[in-house]
Amino acid sequence: MLEPGDGDRGRLRVMRTPKSVDIDITDRCNLRCKYCYFFNSPADVKTDLPPEEWLRFFEELKRCAVTEVCLAGGEPFIREDLRDILEGIIRNRMRFSILSNGTLVTEDMARFLASTPRCNYVQVSLDGSGPETHDACRGSGAFEKAVAGLRLLQQHGVNVAVRVTIHRQNVRDLEAIARLLLEDLGLGGFGTNSAGHMGLCQKNTEQVELTAGERELAMRTLLALNKKYGGRISAQAGPLAEGRMWSEMERARRAGLPSLPDRGRLTACGCVFDKIAVRTDGVLVPCNMLSHIELGRINRDRLDDVWQNHPELRKIRERRFLSLERFEFCSGCAYLNYCTGNCPALAYSLLGVVDHPSPDGCLRKYLAEGGRLPEEELHEP
Amino acid sequence: MSEDKPIANPQVILREEFDDWAVLFDPDTAHGFALNPVGVLIWKLLDGKHGLGDIVRVVRESCQDVPEDVEGHCREFIDSLVQQGLAGFEMKNA
Repeated sequence: MLEPGDGDRGRLRVMRTPKSVDIDITDRCNLRCKYCYFFNSPADVKTDLPPEEWLRFFEELKRCAVTEVCLAGGEPFIREDLRDILEGIIRNRMRFSILSNGTLVTEDMARFLASTPRCNYVQVSLDGSGPETHDACRGSGAFEKAVAGLRLLQQHGVNVAVRVTIHRQNVRDLEAIARLLLEDLGLGGFGTNSAGHMGLCQKNTEQVELTAGERELAMRTLLALNKKYGGRISAQAGPLAEGRMWSEMERARRAGLPSLPDRGRLTACGCVFDKIAVRTDGVLVPCNMLSHIELGRINRDRLDDVWQNHPELRKIRERRFLSLERFEFCSGCAYLNYCTGNCPALAYSLLGVVDHPSPDGCLRKYLAEGGRLPEEELHEP
Repeated sequence: MSEDKPIANPQVILREEFDDWAVLFDPDTAHGFALNPVGVLIWKLLDGKHGLGDIVRVVRESCQDVPEDVEGHCREFIDSLVQQGLAGFEMKNA
């Protein structure tokens, strides 16, 4: 297995500047969802920068040939000056996306978003087929407002994405959610994840985090729904992604394969190779879920210098050389050579260490807790 | 076209990646176009001051193993950029 110092470090190829930048544009939000990763985390620094700071930063992004900015927070639409900020992004030749709870979208803003060809999408979080499940973690009235915001965006022709966060209150509502989104609202698809042990979720674990049995239920339901709807449900994390990856790992184990490509090391996170993030106070961080790692500050430190030379960023990129064999946690695991070690941010929030496999994404642990893999997936090529 | 001096579309982003290769990114369409190192060299000369003859001369001076018909290749490349809206020509006053 590769380890730092064996000469493979030199093979890390990093672009001269990041391709995209994730910006937490505000620390304010009109909701307090029980599993929000932002509040009660190092990202929550209680400071919003004035627009002038962001507009100046966008000029640097143009010089660095950054192509896309993703605005999140907090709730981006709560900023009264959001339109000025978006115009600054457009003026500096970039495209943008917005991650939102959907409840504060106005007619004027929807019209503006539709008027620019630069909006990739507005992602609205919708976690239920009705108020009972959606509002259970997001607060009373949130469902009606989110659906109204989503419809408003659709009516104006704005590209809308929906993210469903799966938790204990909606895990039995997934079929109805898929019907609402794909049939009633006519979306082309939607994404899923699950409430991870970060931010406010750490305070509401019992109400929010899936048990192994619920995870299995979510996995089976989503895999079946995805077949029914022709692959229109996507996931980079959460039960659907785990169902696919864990099944692949189990198939590899049963087939006696020595390993899978790019596995057996901490290879899960590729974000730090093409994007960087900024906190609401202008501090550059590797990812908005690793906001405790401060790399510099916008308009003070040069982005290209931070990107190419910051030792903390290099260290995160070099995680991929760390073999899982070195971790006691992975000792004796039959899946070791098929595993990526999973999300570094979850490893940090669970263990306080970034350079460690995340226990949350561990197949061996899932099986030990009574979880099972969908048998039909284990026979697929 | 040999008399005209092409100009890169100022809205298009040149992202220089690895080994002098690059991507042209049109933010209005989100389309990307890969450029090899010679393409990057030519793109940087699309400033409204260099005509085809100037560009061909710079390519001959800067590159190795330049084919005899390099002018045709350069013309074809610039034409394709113009057709895709990535470059154009300055409007002259009537």
